[in-house]
Amino acid sequence: MGIDLNLVGAKGAIAEEAEGKWGMVIDQDLCTGCQACVAACAMENNLSFVGEEDAGYGRTQHWIRIERFWEGAYPEVKATAFQPMLCQQCGHAPCEPVCPVFATPHSPAQEINLQVYNRCVGTRYCANNCPYQVRSFNWRDYHLEPFHANNVDGQLVYPLHNQFNPDVTVRRRGVMEKCTFCIQRIHQAEDKAKSEGREVHDGEFTTACAQACPANAITFGRMDDHESLVSQLAHQDRGIKHLEELNTLPRITYLKEG
Amino acid sequence: MSENISRRDFLKLATVGAATTAVLTGCGPASRYIKREPYMEMPEYTYNGLSTYYATTCRECAAGCGLIVRTMQGRAIKVEGNSNNPVNLGKTCARGQATLHGLYNPDRVQGPLKRTRGTPFDLRTNVSVTWDEAVQVVADAINNNNPSEVAFLLGMAPDHLFDLVSDLANAIGAPAPIRYGALSMFEARATLIKASENLFGTAALPFFDIANSDLVLSFGANFLETWLSPVAYTRGFAKMRRGNPKRRGHFIQFESRISQTAAKADEWIPIRPGTESLVAAAIGRLVAEAKGGAVSEVFANVDLNEVLSSADIKLETLEHVAEMVGEAESAIVIPGGSALGLSNGLQTAETILTLNALADNFGKPGGVYLSPFLPNQDTYHRPASAQEMAEFIEKMKSGDVKVLFVHGVNPLFELPESLGFADALGSVQEVISFAVFPDETALASDYIFPDHHGLESWGYQRVATGTEQSVLSGAQPVVSPNYDTRATADVLLAASQALPFKDEMEFLQSKFASLVGQADDSFSAPEINTFTAYFQQHGGWWKKSSELVSPSATDTLGRNFAVEQAEFAGEGEFFFLPFVSPTLGEAGANKPWLQELPDPTTTVMWNTWVEMNPETAHELHIENDDVVKIISEAGEVEAPVYLYPAIRPDTIAMPFGQGHTAYGRYAAGRGANPAKLLGQHFNEAGDLAFAGMRVRIEKIEGKKQMLSRLESRIGVYNEGLEEH
Repeated sequence: MGIDLNLVGAKGAIAEEAEGKWGMVIDQDLCTGCQACVAACAMENNLSFVGEEDAGYGRTQHWIRIERFWEGAYPEVKATAFQPMLCQQCGHAPCEPVCPVFATPHSPAQEINLQVYNRCVGTRYCANNCPYQVRSFNWRDYHLEPFHANNVDGQLVYPLHNQFNPDVTVRRRGVMEKCTFCIQRIHQAEDKAKSEGREVHDGEFTTACAQACPANAITFGRMDDHESLVSQLAHQDRGIKHLEELNTLPRITYLKEG
Repeated sequence: MSENISRRDFLKLATVGAATTAVLTGCGPASRYIKREPYMEMPEYTYNGLSTYYATTCRECAAGCGLIVRTMQGRAIKVEGNSNNPVNLGKTCARGQATLHGLYNPDRVQGPLKRTRGTPFDLRTNVSVTWDEAVQVVADAINNNNPSEVAFLLGMAPDHLFDLVSDLANAIGAPAPIRYGALSMFEARATLIKASENLFGTAALPFFDIANSDLVLSFGANFLETWLSPVAYTRGFAKMRRGNPKRRGHFIQFESRISQTAAKADEWIPIRPGTESLVAAAIGRLVAEAKGGAVSEVFANVDLNEVLSSADIKLETLEHVAEMVGEAESAIVIPGGSALGLSNGLQTAETILTLNALADNFGKPGGVYLSPFLPNQDTYHRPASAQEMAEFIEKMKSGDVKVLFVHGVNPLFELPESLGFADALGSVQEVISFAVFPDETALASDYIFPDHHGLESWGYQRVATGTEQSVLSGAQPVVSPNYDTRATADVLLAASQALPFKDEMEFLQSKFASLVGQADDSFSAPEINTFTAYFQQHGGWWKKSSELVSPSATDTLGRNFAVEQAEFAGEGEFFFLPFVSPTLGEAGANKPWLQELPDPTTTVMWNTWVEMNPETAHELHIENDDVVKIISEAGEVEAPVYLYPAIRPDTIAMPFGQGHTAYGRYAAGRGANPAKLLGQHFNEAGDLAFAGMRVRIEKIEGKKQMLSRLESRIGVYNEGLEEH
């Protein structure tokens, strides 16, 4: 692509072009709200569960969540289409410029929005500035709470830690985190493609959420390849982008119901 | 790998390994387990930093989805769907994803224990026994008792252990094992099968081909949540909606609340509970009248005006639905659990299947079929109905059961308390549990001889329904056992000499024998060892082409039976609708990430709630999070109220899945169990009339319990707005 998104005045003109490299399409007509993507994301990305009390304070570590809203009142009440909400990997990400320590930069290679855990100092400015409310903060070392451990000969043993994905950092207290488009899978596919001297094909790998989705509502792939499934789907009539008017250039296209 | 390997060569090898990520099998029966080895002596197919993938079967429910589990250095890291397995074609549900939180749950039973019944679970106070002693205990229990007084109670899945115990019981002359699961009760599976038998002469599970239909009417069938085979039916739903570019399938749900499934419906029609059969018959009458010709008697006898008033539905709505059915190319009508778990459940199921006959869809794409059997199976052994469980409990109470073996089911939690299982256990001399987790039933046992977790075990599972072809989903260990557990099949084979098998694997191979060399298989193997290896590699065995059975329905429309409203038990101003939690299922409460998944419709996490219409609640001066006591004829429970805009004002609903008193740190002491409210009322097929209860509620003054929800409270019914 080669477009420097930081150029002043380039925004409107490049919006069409700037679809990014990796993109996602979510078909709300198919999403059944089953939470399989949420669980798959948690297992792939070592997300902490926070327990009932912290969950009540809105501190859950859901990188993807399913939103549903009610319309009308009984008996004409209707649940709006389930809406999986995750980091939109904005081309113009509002979270990026507010970080004082550059912990959430834009990746030129993958054209996604990164989160560098060991730079993050926990100001939470980014979460404050995210219009999609998809960033979550580690208020505690949830995975190290003794409640989850067994005492074996005086030592705390955490059996659940066996499940951690070694490709993904386990975050500590005071650090912000968010959906990475499963960047570990992107890297793995890129490494493999590089070793074979080629580009990464569309459909070669997918994110954990798209992989699990029983209704096939989530499609992930190369947006810069106009033949790819994700690109074809994104250009359907039903496609919308959330809060497009903020000119965030979201990389996720939602397909409306009906 | 040779010992003199240069770093450069090693890196080359590692790259090749990455390029050819293959699904490996173990090395056949000889090496039964993948060991967790130190880096120095890794097995040759394991490279540092590279994953190994194993195909197995999900054991979280009885659907039998195929899994590919990613492991790394002997640890299971991630569960993916097996894209070849016809049940799920590479997809998983949330419960399948969280199965690793069962495998690595801190509250697993870590070795064989002798216990005092009812004492708390604590490894320090329970007496550890050796496996030799354990086998001796099982052997004594089987051999020193009259075989008729030995009973086996197993989980819902038709798996290899059920086959083994069936053969064992047959060999020693004991009664056949009983399978039970709360899901089968809430699905009213026995009713569905009985209706199929009455109409088609075959006691098989119907298969509803919603993928190819353009109009789906569902009477309370929660097929996107837990019903029969949720991943397979979700795929069908997606195809119905978007599979055909020329049309978008239309979906209408009749249910007294908006369930997760109803939320996906184009139209939700909240009919009064208990009138499902009347509404179905009324639709049948209108459709038949519009078609012209004779209206079959079962529909003609329905008084439309009576239906309108009793079902609380408008004539225009009925006419609109009937018109859609008449115009649809392939309409299908599905009877779900809450429509069948009623006093007239069997009649409802038959009325709804008859409506399918009117839509003329038997054995046609987008219509009703019967699920195929496996080639080595002639009938579908269904799980016990609640009435059969009640009979079994009576038998226990009369002292005719001296030894009870329990595996894969937690009847103290999954059965309604009114059936009296807890009391009946007192009359059983010896209770031996094979539980993986310290659940309520395990704690009421004399011994716990823990089986491996599903991901540490061998086996297979018959796929009862959800696929077009017969499927034997295969299981193999993806990690070596974490604790001192032992396969229950091995324990039983060691304890009893009645079966001629050395170990579990020999038994499995004996069951594979008739499948070797069959035509049109997913793979072909000339002899048993190759078959076993392929079976592991593919994650099971299945036919390639569709084997769906067309129901042999003769004169379905000519049958006549009375269609009446259901009777409700007990007194009170509310109909009570318990439903299985879509995220927890019947046994997910001990998996912390499942607890933290928001319920799809209420977004509540970690607890139980009571859904109540806001208008009703307002009249009763009840607000969000007010704790109420719900009282039925069978018992009472307390739970906080969730003001739910999408439920009938005369109905309250509660999810089933929480309310454990044991089952580990994440489940115990959390929420309430609605099964406590269910009385002993059965329909004609023996299923519990769980949706046929009336309850009353009492507000507990001054008691609030804040539910943790994902959704914001601000602005919900003006909460939190007055300050601004």
